[in-house]
Amino acid sequence: MSDETYQLISQAVTEGEDGRASELVAQALKAGLPPLEILQRGAVAGITRAGDLWRANEYFLPDVILAADAFKAAMALLEPHLRQGGGPRLGKYVIGVVAGDMHDLGKSLVVAMLSSVGFEVIDLGIDVPSARFIQAVKEHRPAIVGLGAYMTTTMLEMKGIIAELEAQGLRRQVKVMVGGVPTSQEFADEVGADAWGKDALDTIQKATALIGG
Amino acid sequence: MANPTLEMVHGLLYGKGLRIGKPSGTARLIAALTGDHADVVPFMGPQSHDHCMTVARVPARRYYWDAELLVNVQLAVQRWYGFDSYTIIPDAYNFEVEALGAKMIYSDNAMPTVDVSDPLIKSPADLDRIGPLDPTKGRIPMAVEVGRLTIQKAPGPLSSGFFCSPWSLLCQAMGYPKAVRALKRDRAYAQALFQWAEDRAIFPFLRAYARAGVKAMNGADAWAAFPNLTPELVQEWVLPSAERLAARAKKELGVTANAALAACDYCEEDPAKFDKAMLFKCLDTAPKLAGLSMAFVGMGRTQDLDMRWLQEYAVSRGKGGHKVPIMASLNGRFIRDSSPDEIVAKIREWIDIMGRDGRLILFIGNIPADTPPLNIHTAVQAVRTLGRYPIAANLESVRVETPAFQPFDEWLKGQPEAEVILRARQGK
Repeated sequence: MSDETYQLISQAVTEGEDGRASELVAQALKAGLPPLEILQRGAVAGITRAGDLWRANEYFLPDVILAADAFKAAMALLEPHLRQGGGPRLGKYVIGVVAGDMHDLGKSLVVAMLSSVGFEVIDLGIDVPSARFIQAVKEHRPAIVGLGAYMTTTMLEMKGIIAELEAQGLRRQVKVMVGGVPTSQEFADEVGADAWGKDALDTIQKATALIGG
Repeated sequence: MANPTLEMVHGLLYGKGLRIGKPSGTARLIAALTGDHADVVPFMGPQSHDHCMTVARVPARRYYWDAELLVNVQLAVQRWYGFDSYTIIPDAYNFEVEALGAKMIYSDNAMPTVDVSDPLIKSPADLDRIGPLDPTKGRIPMAVEVGRLTIQKAPGPLSSGFFCSPWSLLCQAMGYPKAVRALKRDRAYAQALFQWAEDRAIFPFLRAYARAGVKAMNGADAWAAFPNLTPELVQEWVLPSAERLAARAKKELGVTANAALAACDYCEEDPAKFDKAMLFKCLDTAPKLAGLSMAFVGMGRTQDLDMRWLQEYAVSRGKGGHKVPIMASLNGRFIRDSSPDEIVAKIREWIDIMGRDGRLILFIGNIPADTPPLNIHTAVQAVRTLGRYPIAANLESVRVETPAFQPFDEWLKGQPEAEVILRARQGK
């Protein structure tokens, strides 16, 4: 029964059926399935599958937008349960995709993984102007701010955001991670980031290390 | 020869083999589009609004509001570089939504930008509330004047006014994710959105152009490039909308309105995902330019694309022993971030692959503001040297000299645009 439920949630997320994903997650929670299992075997499995299809050129950006929507719908129901069930929070993590970039999938996956290991994630979404990152750092005082980009055109925004953190005297109080397809360790070094997240798992490991976890 | 009609005729004849006289830039373009080739591979003027502003050192808050200044700056800077044509473009995606009340971000050193955090269209009810566009509002009068001045000062087959195509306008007005959701999830809403964009936002703008004597308008549509939209979605939504707009503009205004420019432009950013079949599908779906089939790549990561694919496509779609013309853009970031030697090497590679049998036009895709002028002068020099017909059998043996050029301010002295530019610098 539970295997089938996880499979259906995963499928709903992959296919971008946000209403169906919500409905199935609500049913699973009501049936007493563990929230972390629902997240990992349902929602994360679904968005990972969407990522595989994207990499295989079988999914395109519109499909990815819808899959990310369905993932967020599932997460909205799961998040309160994950908070209750989890241990102490690791710290706040502000994350967003930089201005001009609409690629939501990779960031959504990182958000899920960060949440599942205990970070309190403030997701600014996609196409986030530099000023909103700065404002969020001031407002939430996170341990880490994560900047994502999928395009070579937009990744250059990261340099400006880090420079603005410096200019406003905020850089010393927050660690900066960068990630996304066109980024690299060299790029992270060049823009003055503290770490480069190669993929979602790598991001979790490095984020935990950055805060001394 | 300064008569565009005569230049076009010269280009037509030159391209067909009557190689008399030195072709002008316009003639070179026409020769490459309609015949075999001109004397050299043409290098078309690029979209370069922020870059031209930076080179000319004029303030953004004046440049993007003053049609005379914007046109003069772009004419001067593009002529300084020595391109074969002018491309005079303001911030073409903003005018309609700005005039309709969208929240904008204005900057001291870059073009105005829509504030996506507070979109103009938030719900279906907004479609009844917003519009029709009042052509006296916002910077619409300035945009119309840019179109009029462009045609007056740089007449030719590529001179036109610019507008934002329906799909890109919707992305500007409501954000790309919401616009995509409408296409994929709510067909009736999507239809209402396109109708709103065509009738209440764009058509009044086209009417204002027509009243000012601008007879041709091009509608930029970067949001319809691949992978923002698939070829199927472009066929289903973008192209029919462009056809409706063109038909109405022709019937009611007697003007040409080419919407959906750059729709299906292959802009995959991840080289690991480059896909020849998808490139071909995109090229097959992309709208024709002035009725011509061609192989066009404009905004993508072209420096990493295998241009043998583009050549293969152009040959495979050609007729009568001629490939379809190729218009290939050197990526703007590549030009900015590469060394002069890397730029020369890339142009050498491209001309070797795509230039030998003619029908090749090169340009740079949207030059970033901070691109070193040396890199652009180098690109022009490389195309002029390596692209001379007949193309050298061994291009590796052809040396491209470092370009010699005057600094812009020295060159500007005595140019017809000098007074307008210097006045703007002084805040007059």
